[in-house]
Amino acid sequence: MTLLTWVFDSLLGLSLLWLAWRALACPDLFKAIVLFVAFGLLMALAWVRLAAPDVALAEAAIGAGLTGALLMAALAKLHPTEAHDDFTVPPEKNVTKVWSWQWLPAVAILLVTTGLGYVVLSLPPYAAGLSTEVAANLAISGASNPVTAVLLNFRGYDTLLEIVVLLLALLGVWSLNSASLDRKAAPGIVLDTLARLLTPIFILVAAYLLWVGAHAPGGAFQAGAVLGAAGVLLLLAGWRPRAGLMALPLRLVLVTGPATFVIVAVLTLLMKGQMLEYPPTQAGVLILILETAATVSIGVTLAALFLGGDPRKNNRNKNQT
Amino acid sequence: MQLLYLALALFLLLNLGAGMWRVLRGPTAADRMLAAQLFGTTAVAILLLLAQANTNAALRDVALVFALLAAMTAVAFVRRAWPNQEANHKPK
Repeated sequence: MTLLTWVFDSLLGLSLLWLAWRALACPDLFKAIVLFVAFGLLMALAWVRLAAPDVALAEAAIGAGLTGALLMAALAKLHPTEAHDDFTVPPEKNVTKVWSWQWLPAVAILLVTTGLGYVVLSLPPYAAGLSTEVAANLAISGASNPVTAVLLNFRGYDTLLEIVVLLLALLGVWSLNSASLDRKAAPGIVLDTLARLLTPIFILVAAYLLWVGAHAPGGAFQAGAVLGAAGVLLLLAGWRPRAGLMALPLRLVLVTGPATFVIVAVLTLLMKGQMLEYPPTQAGVLILILETAATVSIGVTLAALFLGGDPRKNNRNKNQT
Repeated sequence: MQLLYLALALFLLLNLGAGMWRVLRGPTAADRMLAAQLFGTTAVAILLLLAQANTNAALRDVALVFALLAAMTAVAFVRRAWPNQEANHKPK
């Protein structure tokens, strides 16, 4: 049996390395996307084998649902009119010119890799890390799942900054492009039915993941990713929200998560003198409130990222012309 | 029983390797896409087997999320990266 798991693990690891190399080296961008999606699937399995089901869940939700769709949409924008079987990168004309500078990043990467390798090899072979301390303080954290306790309580500011990073990513996309809110062509009965059937199930599963995060793998990011996937599916099926919802209501929903986090951080700072240090009796409720707000914001941010531009800018331009 | 689950999981992982051949060979984009869909289904099966073998119920949640979201890439493919086909099928 140990032999079986050993064979399984080494096969998994080798396939991961091979897939990563193929996805990077492949000149056909579509093939690279498919290889990357397959890489995400195997990566989730690897996290499972490493006994990290929380990370596997996040990888499943983001890797399988969103990254593939985002990359596919980006590819379509790169090649709007070309034939669908020819997504190959056009060969560079001045390859020789580029080549003379290529050794510089190669040397830099080699140095970083050597440094990282040295650090990894100089680590003690076994270290308990902070897991014993987390386990000792789990009772007052408000969550019985240690990962949720770390993310939302012990290192809550990390999560706060991560949510702000998502918002910044969306602002970056908005500053680059505007999105059309015109309804796309009717998707056909199959996709329409699929979207109608799956969207409620996505929302239900997102709520389940949010709730289960308190005591088992799950939580705001995974739930938000599933919620975002529901939005992406609706957008793909041709649905567009009303233009009126795109101005203030969308922005309010987008900042709900970060704003709730900041309010709680300021309140705890004023009351306890320490940012995001919850009173143990209310910790569970506070974590649930924070996670719910974060889930909604993450879901809407991811769907808005897929829309690929500022939906309001487009309206403004239209009004001017 | 655990041995059987692990052996089946290993068999399915080998199946993924066979699917990889289709991704690399193509010949059309749809072939590669469908192979990726097969990967999704296989990964769900592997996760369910590992959940049984390790008696870790959380892995079933991972399988559930995979099963729900696996279709997303295919839908994005059909809607976005397959424009010519769509235009050809549309009645003029």
